[in-house]
Amino acid sequence: MAKHPIDWSPKNWPRLLYGFFTSFKLATVVLVFMTVVTLLGTLGQVEHGLHSAKEKYFHSFFFTEKIFGVPVLLPGGLLLMILLFTNMVLGALVKVRKRWKGAGLLISHLGMLMLLAGGFVTWAFSTDGYMAMYPGMTSDRVESYREWQLEIVPLSPEGEAEKAWIYPAKLLETMRPDEQRVIHAESLPFDVVINGFSKNATPVPVSAPIAASVTGKEIDGFKLSPQKASKEAEQNLPGCFLEIRPRDGGDPVEAILWAGSYKFDPREKAMPFTFPVGDQLYGALLVKKSWTVPFSVRLDEFIFERHPGVSTARNYESRVTRFEEGQSDKALEIKMNEPMRHAGYTFFQESFGPSGSQPGDEMYSQFAVANNPADQWPLWSLVVTGVGLGVHFVIMLVNFTVRSRQRRSSPPVAP
Amino acid sequence: MPRRGVPTTEPCASGQSGRDGWLSRPLPLAAALLVLLPACGEKDTPGLVERPLSVSEKNFRLVDSSMERFRYTARPAASAGTESGSATPRGLVYDTPEGWTEKPGAAMRDVNFTFGEKGEGECYVARLPGTGGGLAANVNRWRAQMGAAPLSDEEVAALPTRPLFGQPARFVAVDGTFSPGMGSSETFPGYRLVGLILAADAGAVFVKMTGPKEVVEKNGAAFDQFVSSLDVKSN
Amino acid sequence: MNARSLLAALAVALLPGALAARELPKSALQNYVPWQDETVHAFEKLLVQEDGRVKPIYTVARFTLLQFLGKSAVSFQTQDGKDHRIHYAAWFLDVLFRGEVAKDLPVFIVDDSEVVVQIGVSPKSKRDRYSYNELLPGRAKLAELGAQYAEKEQKYRDSEKDPQYELGRVEGMILTLARNISAFDYLLGQFGFARQDGFLVNANILPPELVELSKRIDIVEMIDKMPEMGVDQLVQMVRQPSGGSEEERMFSGALRLFFFHASSASVLKFFPPQDEKEEVWITARDLMLAGLESKAQRPWAMEQLAAVQTLTKAQKEGEPAFLAALQAYSQKQHETAATRGEGTRAGLEIQLYRGKWFANSLVCFILAFVVMAFSWLTPESKIGRTLLLAAGVLAFVGFALDAYGIALRCIIRDRPPITNLYDTILFITAVAVLLGLFIEYCTRFGVGTFVAVVSGVLGMFLSIKYEAKEATDTISQLQAVLDTNFWLWTHVTIINIGYAAGLVAAIIGLVYLTSRFAALFHRRENADFHRALTRMNYGVICFCLFFSLVGTVLGGIWANYSWGRFWGWDPKENGALMICLWTLVILHGRMAGWIREIGIHMNSLVLAIITTFSWWGVNNLGVGLHSYGFTEGVWGALYTSWAVLGIFMAMGIVLWFQDREARLSKRVGAAV
Repeated sequence: MAKHPIDWSPKNWPRLLYGFFTSFKLATVVLVFMTVVTLLGTLGQVEHGLHSAKEKYFHSFFFTEKIFGVPVLLPGGLLLMILLFTNMVLGALVKVRKRWKGAGLLISHLGMLMLLAGGFVTWAFSTDGYMAMYPGMTSDRVESYREWQLEIVPLSPEGEAEKAWIYPAKLLETMRPDEQRVIHAESLPFDVVINGFSKNATPVPVSAPIAASVTGKEIDGFKLSPQKASKEAEQNLPGCFLEIRPRDGGDPVEAILWAGSYKFDPREKAMPFTFPVGDQLYGALLVKKSWTVPFSVRLDEFIFERHPGVSTARNYESRVTRFEEGQSDKALEIKMNEPMRHAGYTFFQESFGPSGSQPGDEMYSQFAVANNPADQWPLWSLVVTGVGLGVHFVIMLVNFTVRSRQRRSSPPVAP
Repeated sequence: MPRRGVPTTEPCASGQSGRDGWLSRPLPLAAALLVLLPACGEKDTPGLVERPLSVSEKNFRLVDSSMERFRYTARPAASAGTESGSATPRGLVYDTPEGWTEKPGAAMRDVNFTFGEKGEGECYVARLPGTGGGLAANVNRWRAQMGAAPLSDEEVAALPTRPLFGQPARFVAVDGTFSPGMGSSETFPGYRLVGLILAADAGAVFVKMTGPKEVVEKNGAAFDQFVSSLDVKSN
Repeated sequence: MNARSLLAALAVALLPGALAARELPKSALQNYVPWQDETVHAFEKLLVQEDGRVKPIYTVARFTLLQFLGKSAVSFQTQDGKDHRIHYAAWFLDVLFRGEVAKDLPVFIVDDSEVVVQIGVSPKSKRDRYSYNELLPGRAKLAELGAQYAEKEQKYRDSEKDPQYELGRVEGMILTLARNISAFDYLLGQFGFARQDGFLVNANILPPELVELSKRIDIVEMIDKMPEMGVDQLVQMVRQPSGGSEEERMFSGALRLFFFHASSASVLKFFPPQDEKEEVWITARDLMLAGLESKAQRPWAMEQLAAVQTLTKAQKEGEPAFLAALQAYSQKQHETAATRGEGTRAGLEIQLYRGKWFANSLVCFILAFVVMAFSWLTPESKIGRTLLLAAGVLAFVGFALDAYGIALRCIIRDRPPITNLYDTILFITAVAVLLGLFIEYCTRFGVGTFVAVVSGVLGMFLSIKYEAKEATDTISQLQAVLDTNFWLWTHVTIINIGYAAGLVAAIIGLVYLTSRFAALFHRRENADFHRALTRMNYGVICFCLFFSLVGTVLGGIWANYSWGRFWGWDPKENGALMICLWTLVILHGRMAGWIREIGIHMNSLVLAIITTFSWWGVNNLGVGLHSYGFTEGVWGALYTSWAVLGIFMAMGIVLWFQDREARLSKRVGAAV
C-alpha cells in the first residue's frame, strides 16, 4: 500500500478536483457534519425555537456555534446538502462502475438524489400560509404565518378601500431599529417615512407605570416598547413609527403602527391609522402578507369532537364547497390526514378557534394552505430508494448466508 | 395607472405573492417579466407594489384613537400587565386604585401592589393553568397562612362568590396572625386576608390582599374596584 | 473472557434480589381478613370509564397501586404477627368497600424520610412505606405544601423552565405524595353514600353530629323526598345557617351530608349514561345531582344508586352474599355496556395483566442467560452446544410471550402494535430478539443467541420499570392526528424496527470489543471469529439503514399528508435522520477505507447513542411530556448508558492503536 506522490501541477487540477468531489471520503465527511449539524439544530430548538434554529443551522451555508465556550465555524445544512448532492451525482452515478452487483445501490442513490432535489425545490419555491373562516364565509386569500407588510390604503368614509400600496415583507423585515426609510409613490400625494421598526413590540400607554422605562417618542398617549423576539416566530407582533409628509407642503403627521391592530379572527376588521390628505382619507397599517389561490372556498360546516369526558380533541373536520370559474361547484370534506388537493395547492385541516371557546360557541376552522411543486417527490423517491435498497439487501443477504453456510462446517471458536 | 397595455400591478404583484410565482411559470415569461420589472415606478420606491384589494381585504374598521387601535378599549388607566410583557403571552389590563403602588411582578405573581402608609398592605394576582391544586386546597392554604382551621369540602363549596373576569370566584376573608411562609418565619398578628379564587377549566386565578386589619378594611373598596377592572388584554 | 468468573459475577448480581425479603412494614390493623379469590374475580370485571375509554376496574386498580406504591402488591404485617401480601385488585376492593381497613395499609412509598419530616410526621426509615392513617397528622401541611409546589411546577412549565421555579428533589416528592393522598381520599369516598355506617372520608373535619346523622340517613331515599333543585340551589341551601328547630337542623344537616357524599363520589365513572347516544359515563355524584335536579330522571338515578347500596349491604352480610351481589351487579353492568358496544374486551384486558406475559417473558430471558452462561464453560463440547440451543429455545419462548402480549394489546384497543412510548419498548425488544435468533440461525456460533438474550433481558426489564414509574394506563387514547391505522402500521412500525437494529448492532459491537480486549490478555487472537462478527455487524447496520430510511421517509410522507410539509426539522424527525446519516457514515467510511473492523464496531456504539437519543432523549427535550421526576430519570439513565458505551469506545481506541502498530510492523516486515 505504498503511497504514490500526488501530482499537484495545475494541469492535473481538474482530475484532482474530480477525484475530490467523487470520493467516498468527501461523502463520509459531509455525512458526519450533517449528523453533527442535525444534532446541534435539534438541541438549538430548545434555546432558539424551531424557526430560528431552522434558519441558523439548516438553511445556511455556515454558522458559528460555541462548543465548550469556544466559537467554532461549521458548515450549514444548505452547503452540506449541495456538497452531498454533487458528490452523489458525480460519485454514485457518473464515476461508479456499472455492475449488476451495484444495481441496487445505483437505484437507491438515484432515489436519494430525488429526495434532496425535492427538498431544494420545496425550500426554494414552496409557499405556506393559512386560511381561517367561520361557517358561511368564502375566501380565496391565504395569509402568511409570520411575514408582515406595510399597507397604505385610500379609504371611503365607511372604511372601504379598493386598492393598496404595499411595502412588501421582504423589504420591511430587513429594517434595523435605527434605520429610516422613505417610501415614495408618484400616485400618492405624500411620502411615508418609516423608522424605529421592531420585529416584536408592544405599545404601552404612557399612563402605565412601566411606560417610564420605555425610551422613544410618545405619540397619542402611547410609546412603542420593543420586545425580545419570541421563540415562536408566529407570535411576533412588529411595530414601527410612521411619518406622513404631504408633498403639497401640509403638516406632517406621526403615528405608531402595531401589528396587533390587524384582524386575528376571521370576523374582525383590521384597524388602520387614518389621516386625511387633501379631500381623501388614507389609512396605514401593518398587515400579514397574503396571496390568492385560483379558486375560492366556502366553509359550510365545521365539526368538532372531543374524546368522551376529556379535553383531547378526537376529531375536527370541515365541510367546504369549492368554486372555480368554468367548473361546477364541488362539495368536499377536509379532515385530519385527508387534505384537499387542487390546482397545485393543498388544504390541510390545521387548527380551530377562537381559543378558549366553550362547547356550543361558534368556532372557526383554520386550514394550512401549501403550494409545493415537489409535493409528491418524496413518495416517488421513497419508492425508488426502497426498491434499490431492497434489491441490494437481497443480493447481500444471499451472499452472506451462502458464505456463512460454507463456513459453518468449521465454526470459529468463541474466546 | 396602467402602462404599456400591461396592468402595472402584475410584475410587481408576482414578486409580492412570494416564491410561488416565478418558477412555476414558463421561463420565457419570467425573462419578459424581468425586463419589465424596472418599468413599474421608475420614480417609486423600488419594491413598492400597487394593487387592487380583494373582497376579504377591503373592509377596515375606522377607529379614532390609538387607545382603540391598540385594543385598550375603554380602559383609560390600563397598563400592560407584567413587567416585561413577554412572560405571559396574554397580558392583563386593570385600573390601579388610588394610593396603590405597583411593584415589579415577583415570583408567581402577575400583578403586584403595595398600599398603606408604609406599604404594609399587599395585593397580588397570580394565574395558573389547570385548577391550581383544587379550590379547597387553596382556600385552606390561605387559611393556614392566617393560622385558621381548614374548612371542609362542603364549607368551601358554600363560600360566597364574587365576579372575577365575569365568572363567579370564591371569596375568602380571614383574620388572624399572618405567616407568609415561603422561607420567611416572620409572623404578623392582627392581620386580615381577603381574596378571590377562581378555579375555572381554563385556569385558576388568585387575587389576594393581605395587611393589618384596619388597612385592609380601609382598602376594601379599592380592592373591589381593582377586581372589577381586571380583564384580559384581548389580542 | 473467563466464563467461570462471569458466572460468579452473575451470582453476585442476582444475590441481592434473593435476599430482598426485607422486613415488612407493620400495619396498625389487629388482623387482616383476605378476600376470597372468587370475590376478587367478580369485582375486577366491573367496568369504569377513564381517560375516554371503558375498561375493567382491574386496570384502574393496577395503575392506582403502581402510582402510590410502585409495586403491584402491598405487603405488610398485622399486629397479630401474620404476614400478608395483597394484590392490587383485592386492595382496590378494600379501598372501595372497606375504607377503614384500607386506611391502615402501607401503600404510600416515600423515597426520602425528609418528606414526612417536613409535613410533621415522625419518619420510619430513610425509604419506607406509610399508610394513610400514619400520614394523617401531616395531611393539612401536606395539602398546603402540595398546592404551593403545584403552583411552582406550573410556573416552571409556563416560563419554559425558568430555574427559579424548578422543584427540588424533596419538593417534587412532596408534590407527588400530596397528589396521591388526595387521589386516595377521593377513592375512599366513591361509595360512601351507600354505606350508612358512619364511615366518612375526612370524618375528622366534620362536626360529630353530622357523623352521627350519617348513620341514620339513607342518601338514596332522601333524593325521593326532596323537591327538584339544581346544584346552585343545593349549594345555596347548604350555605344557609341552620335554623333553630330540631327539624330544621336535621334537614340542613342532611343536605350537607348529601352534598358531602356527592362531592366525594366524583372520580370513578362507573355508570353508563341513560341516553345511549351519550358517550360519557357518569359518576355517582352525577347520578345524585341528576336525580335531585329532575323528577323525570329520579327513578333511573335512584335505581342505579340503590344497586350500589345492595353491594355495600351485601358486603356487611358476609362474603357469600357479597359475591352473589357483585356477580349480579357485574352481569347487569356488562349487559348495559354491551348494548352500547363497550366493555366487550374487558376480559382480554384482565387476561393481559393477569397473564403477566411480559414478566414471564423476562423470566424466560433470564433463564436463557443462565443456561447460555453455562454453555460457555464448554463451548465446543456437545453439552455446550445443547445448552446453547436450549438458551435459544428459551429466548424464543420469551419472544413468543412478548409477542403474545403485544397481540393482546393490539386486539384490546383495535390498533397496530405501537401507539405510545411503552409500546415501543415491547416492540423493539421483540424485534431485537427475533433479529438475534435469525443471526444465530444463519451463523450458529452463539453470538446471535447472546444478542437475543441480552436484548430480551434489558428490554423486558425496561418495560416493567417504565410501567411502574409512569403508573398510568398504557393503553391510551390517541390524539386526533395519530388516528390512522395505516400510518401507525407502516411508518411507526418500520422506524421502530430500525431502532431495534441500531441497538442490536451495538450489542454485537460490544461483544467484539470485549472479545478483542480479553484476547489482549490471553494472547489468543481469534481472527476468524472477529471477522465473522464484523460481517455480521455490517449486515445488521445495512438492515438498520433500510428500515430507518424507509421509515423516516414514510414519516415525512405522512407529515406531508397531515400537515402539508414533508420535513419540518422536528426533533423526532431529526432523531430518525441522524440514525440514517450515521449508518451512511459507516457504510461510506468503510468504502473510503477509513474504517475497517474495529471502526465498524466502534461506530455501531455511536449509532446506539444516537438511537437511544432519538428513542428517549428527544421526547424529553422540550417541556416534559410526563411527570417531573420521570424526565429526570430518563436523562440519568441515558447518561449512564452513554458513559458505559464511552468506556467501551475507549477500549476500542486502545485496540485501534494496537491494530495500527501491527499493520505498520507487517508493512515494515514486508519491505525488509
